[in-house]
Amino acid sequence: MDISHTPAAITPRPDSAVRVRLRRFGELAGNVLSNPTTLAGLVVIVAMVGMALLAPWITEPNTPDPAQMPRDWGAIAEPPGTPGHPLGTTNTGGDVLYGIIWGARTSLRLSLIVVSVTVTVGIAVGSLAGFMGGRIDEILMRIVDVFLSIPELIFALAIAAVLGPSFRNIILALAVVFWVKYARIMRAQVIHVKQNEYVDAARVIGDSSWRIFRKDVLPNSITPVIVQATLDMGNIVLVGATLSFIGLAEAGLAEWGVLVSEGQAGISAGRWWASTFPGLMVFLWALAFNLVGDGLRDVLDPRTETSR
Amino acid sequence: MTVASPGPSPAPTRQTPVVASVRDLKVHFRSKAGVVHAVDGVDFDIRDGETLGLVGETGCGKSVTARSFLRLVPMPPGIPVSGSILFRPRSRCSMCDGAGCADCEQTGRVGSVCPGCNGAGCPECDGSGSETLDLLSISERRLRDIRGNRIAMIFQDPGKALNPALSVRDQLGEVFYTHRSEELLDRAGLDGRTEPGALMRRRAAMQSRGLERMLLAVPPLRSKRNALLAAADTMVADALAETQIPNPRNVMDRYPHELSGGMKQRVMIAQALACNPDLLIADEPTTALDVTVQARIIELINQLKERHQTAVLYISHDLSLVKRVCDRTAVMYAGRIAEIGDSEQIFHHPEHPYTRGLLEAIPSTTRARGRLAAIEGTVPELIDPDPACRFAGRCPHAATACRETEPELHATQGGHAVACFLHHPPPGAPAGDVPSLERSGR
Repeated sequence: MDISHTPAAITPRPDSAVRVRLRRFGELAGNVLSNPTTLAGLVVIVAMVGMALLAPWITEPNTPDPAQMPRDWGAIAEPPGTPGHPLGTTNTGGDVLYGIIWGARTSLRLSLIVVSVTVTVGIAVGSLAGFMGGRIDEILMRIVDVFLSIPELIFALAIAAVLGPSFRNIILALAVVFWVKYARIMRAQVIHVKQNEYVDAARVIGDSSWRIFRKDVLPNSITPVIVQATLDMGNIVLVGATLSFIGLAEAGLAEWGVLVSEGQAGISAGRWWASTFPGLMVFLWALAFNLVGDGLRDVLDPRTETSR
Repeated sequence: MTVASPGPSPAPTRQTPVVASVRDLKVHFRSKAGVVHAVDGVDFDIRDGETLGLVGETGCGKSVTARSFLRLVPMPPGIPVSGSILFRPRSRCSMCDGAGCADCEQTGRVGSVCPGCNGAGCPECDGSGSETLDLLSISERRLRDIRGNRIAMIFQDPGKALNPALSVRDQLGEVFYTHRSEELLDRAGLDGRTEPGALMRRRAAMQSRGLERMLLAVPPLRSKRNALLAAADTMVADALAETQIPNPRNVMDRYPHELSGGMKQRVMIAQALACNPDLLIADEPTTALDVTVQARIIELINQLKERHQTAVLYISHDLSLVKRVCDRTAVMYAGRIAEIGDSEQIFHHPEHPYTRGLLEAIPSTTRARGRLAAIEGTVPELIDPDPACRFAGRCPHAATACRETEPELHATQGGHAVACFLHHPPPGAPAGDVPSLERSGR
């Protein structure tokens, strides 16, 4: 082998770094979408989110508060198919269709706020603990242990008891409880990733700790958090519906859990629709996010089993 | 398997300046069972442009020694006990501009003058007169300037030493942004002094944050930023081309998982030599590679080392490899250096019983068939060792003195140094307590 090298035909392509990333993203997206169940989940999510975002245009918003279900006292407990109420009404004249559509909006708000807050806090705490190690790790993880011992249902009840029942307090309660999971996942990942030789290699080329964290540790440890966050987008709505079902949200709120609870008194009398439709929505929402979460896990983290 | 390269370069003369010296290095580790003396009093010098082989079996402390150069040993559990690693950074010779002249002893580079004594030689520079840094005690910031710039490292497993989330371009570009931002600006034809030069300067050093980055992504700064990126691309492509990677522009856009082991190691080498370091630490650079690729990589390291006049600390447990590659060789055993000297000497006239045992254990196609030779016994526990020769338990010559005192390194007639009482009996010890070749029947 001779050592004479030609420094290749070099044409400046300054934007190709961006192109490489786009290509990588395209590949990943292609992999995710090639799984039919993931695709199905994604379609359901898009439909639900679309419904939530377009709610004011699909149905006439209730005045003064569109988050409250409109009451039609002239049409109480009507079955599906009633003119003006395609999915029927509840015992108190609430329109089920309105509750479902605006309930999607409420659920989206709930899951987005809770997930973004908990993921941010969880990543920050977990990274700090895992990357710094030692005493900082010890202290943070003991705090996490304390939060881990709080059952979310009881905690939400306690908050409602102190601050009064409202949907805002449900969000608060869930945010306070849910971040610990991310902190633990993140810490475990960071500890695992920082033992990789490429972290030493980065140190060897003179990178600062912060840069090593940003460039080597964070991108390589974040995927399980992304997967978990996707799964939780569904789970949180499930828990939120449970909490509002037992009466921790405002009465009459256009929310699936509230709607189920309003309708349950009529189930024994054969009026199934007021509980079934919102229940179905909760089910679909949680299922869709679980399908997509599992699909993401298969693509992003091929080593782990699909079963949890 | 043969290698076409002419073998080790002629050994540098005694006057060749010392790039780095390890002085009484001790690194211990805290464990449940006690303190592990992983490295226990290691001394050696690396001269400019030479390849020093560090050989020994697993756990003898060779990797810990190497990693100590860049302070990569995790503390805790590691305990820095004592010693220093003196490093003398060198710069391009101003008399000949790197071509090699009498002033720089044909190396093209000279050491900076010690600020403490102005070249006269003082304790601070260990009497050498050139600027000397103790790698174990300088600040983290100083050390960062040296890492990747003056001292670089190649790791054993290239598959693990490259960040899977970064393309080769980003991975290599990092080095230039960190250590060569001035040159990048130069190449991009940008003036780093005037506004918005300050912005560009920060970008070239990868220090731009949020809003700045956005500002740089839109006209009028966009074109300047693109020039900078193109300059970085060119430097990355050149670095890759130097390691004989075919089609570097294409390889740049790949991620590590898309490359073969040999390619990955080439990328590592390109990264290590990107800034033309004074010292390259190669920690078993070919262990994880196929034998065929091994030969090419070693050849490559040799060629690049010759071209850049880089000193190499070559860590390996492959004796035949070290014999072929290294100018000098140090044999480590249980945290100490057993024997050190010119490779020629070590491999043809070994004097330490351990070195002899190692060499006899190399299987050969020319020698008679039969059982392979092995050194009896096992490596001693390094937890709180007694003051004794570490090899005494396995040594065929061991005598009372060996079990009571620790031999120090002493120069021998052959021009190398051995830590063994066979060659340097402890002063004042009775004859019966001292090992001798005759009595043990060798």
